[in-house]
Amino acid sequence: MHFIVCLKPVPKPGAVKVDPETHTLRRESAELILNPPDLYALEMAVALKEKHGGKVTALMMGPPNAADLLREAYALGADEMVLLSDRAFAGSDTLATSYVLSQAIRKLEPYDLVLMGKASIDGETAQVGPETAAWLKQPSLTQVKALWPEDGLWVAVRFFEGFEEEVEFRGPAVITVEPEVNEPRPPSLKRMLAVRALEPRVLSAEDLDCNLEKTGLAGSPTQVLGVFTPSYDREREVLTGEAEEVVEKLVSLLRTRGLI
Amino acid sequence: MGGFWIYGQWQEGRFHPVVYELLSVARRLKPALKEKIVVVVLGPEDRREEARELLRYGAEEVLFFVHPDLGYFRDDLYSEVLSEAVAERKPAVFLFGATAEGQALAPRVAGALGLGLTAHCTAFEVDEEGRLLQIRPSFGENIMARIVSKTRPQMATVKPGVFSKAEPVDEPEGVLEEVKLAAVPGSALRRRVVRTLPRKESPLSRARVVVAGGRGLLRRENFDQLFELAELLGGAVGATRPVCHLGWISEDHMIGVSGETVSPKLYIGFGISGALQHTVGIEGAEVVVAVNSDPEAPLMKRADIAVVGDATRILPLLIRRIRELKG
Ligand SMILES: Cc1cc2nc3c(=O)[nH]c(=O)nc-3n(C[C@H](O)[C@H](O)[C@H](O)COP(=O)(O)OP(=O)(O)OC[C@H]3O[C@@H](n4cnc5c(N)ncnc54)[C@H](O)[C@@H]3O)c2cc1C
Ligand SMILES: Nc1ncnc2c1ncn2[C@@H]1O[C@H](COP(=O)(O)O)[C@@H](O)[C@H]1O
Repeated sequence: MHFIVCLKPVPKPGAVKVDPETHTLRRESAELILNPPDLYALEMAVALKEKHGGKVTALMMGPPNAADLLREAYALGADEMVLLSDRAFAGSDTLATSYVLSQAIRKLEPYDLVLMGKASIDGETAQVGPETAAWLKQPSLTQVKALWPEDGLWVAVRFFEGFEEEVEFRGPAVITVEPEVNEPRPPSLKRMLAVRALEPRVLSAEDLDCNLEKTGLAGSPTQVLGVFTPSYDREREVLTGEAEEVVEKLVSLLRTRGLI
Repeated sequence: MGGFWIYGQWQEGRFHPVVYELLSVARRLKPALKEKIVVVVLGPEDRREEARELLRYGAEEVLFFVHPDLGYFRDDLYSEVLSEAVAERKPAVFLFGATAEGQALAPRVAGALGLGLTAHCTAFEVDEEGRLLQIRPSFGENIMARIVSKTRPQMATVKPGVFSKAEPVDEPEGVLEEVKLAAVPGSALRRRVVRTLPRKESPLSRARVVVAGGRGLLRRENFDQLFELAELLGGAVGATRPVCHLGWISEDHMIGVSGETVSPKLYIGFGISGALQHTVGIEGAEVVVAVNSDPEAPLMKRADIAVVGDATRILPLLIRRIRELKG
């Protein structure tokens, strides 16, 4: 079986810079890590491979320096590493990102399932999974907590608010995996050594036969007009002094307002 | 043609609360956008009367697509029916609740039609050109982003609980338009079992008092004292994302974009900086108290009462003082 896992390079929390001109993230300025929720998708795929045979391809759209993150994915159990890197991809919103991923996924045929994280910690849109499925004209299932093959079909358990459902479907399909449904393994030392001699396959827009009107800023229908910090011009009380003193003031203020 | 569309998500035979919240958004934007407010509902015909109910909450049209196979949500089937409806009727706006179902469905429709989609909006404005400005907290730091779509309909998902629900209207004027579908596309998904999960209805969303803690409480033992204070005040305990990740408390206590939205009479935040990702969750609080050693922290600026000091000292003193008062 062939599982493709999409892993996003994200800026390490706390290290984000926004470009004042384009209002997009300046990814080159921050240290990158594997999007933590994607590790559950990777673990699910690696566990399925170990049980049923096959291989796992780690797929990432990102800058050239994200290659090391793919090596990390290899140490966590992936077998192939594919990096989609091209200036033409810069500034992609979720629609353009999912278009590029879908073009790559087509090149990686045949495959059984595409697995993704639930959401990225920087964008946190949870959109790329179902959008990729739409480009591929395949079924998608979100918030999956368990997945197994049964009589030539797949069975998934997925969460909704207040209930979960067990669904069966025929692959290929795109799955987004709920965080914390498994325990991602630590990296294997043997694999860490082996991957030193390996290079991820790097594919460009041309390699993927991308229509350049659908990638990058040109292919992104959402546009950030600007960013702002909301200001709160309101009357406020500022309490300062010794701890005992401010507690006394606070309690009396809350009492006069009938709040305690 | 045109219209302000809202996805009419079902929940156990009724509509999900977020549908009423989206109706209040639509009604508020109506004077500026002047688009007809349409709730789009999919289902078998025996749900007609429930669907009609939405007219009482200000829907000017309920567009009801009827087919026996639309009895429960299936991503591929529902998105195909909606995509076709959008392509044919060309609404100006299409909003979905950012629920599990809405987040599975909206991006499939966007992907199928090549449309822009903004996730988890917490506010909307309309500019001079009549474009919908979609506002969401953005990029980790304390900023909100205003986003526009170059494509039509302008699509967005909206976080449940952020907007108040629409009130009933005196004289409903809308109509139910029933579209009987002769056939619907097949679905690749077949439901085998549904299991109801114990309702994780967070006590936070209804609490009259919320006492919340952040990284400034420094240690878990300090954070744990919030439970004592919450009990004394008859309230619930909330938290910022980092402290949930530190394991001080489970994630269902998280307040903010990734967590709960609260609207208590009193919110007290101890050692919380007040990042927008957190404060969008307390927009509905009547009185905000912040306790922080840094008078310049954003939550201190936003607070009605800003207490400058060491939260690890103030919290136990406050508990003691209130206990004394309550005798
Ligand atoms: C996509 C995304 C989604 C997010 N979603 C959420 C969300 O839903 N909810 C959420 O809360 N966060 C969320 N965050 C994180 C958010 O951006 C902030 O990082 C977080 O809210 C900060 O938490 P904090 O206030 O506990 O910690 P900090 O920002 O570290 O603030 C600690 C505060 O404590 C004060 N302090 C320190 N010591 C003391 C003391 N002894 N006494 C009093 N004050 C003290 C400091 O002055 C500081 O203001 C999200 C981030 C991203 C990128
Ligand atoms: N640049 C990318 N490369 C690979 N996978 C991605 C990329 N962006 C998003 N994804 C996948 O899509 C999921 C959802 O991302 P998002 O829609 O940004 O919340 C992530 O968890 C990843 O699995």
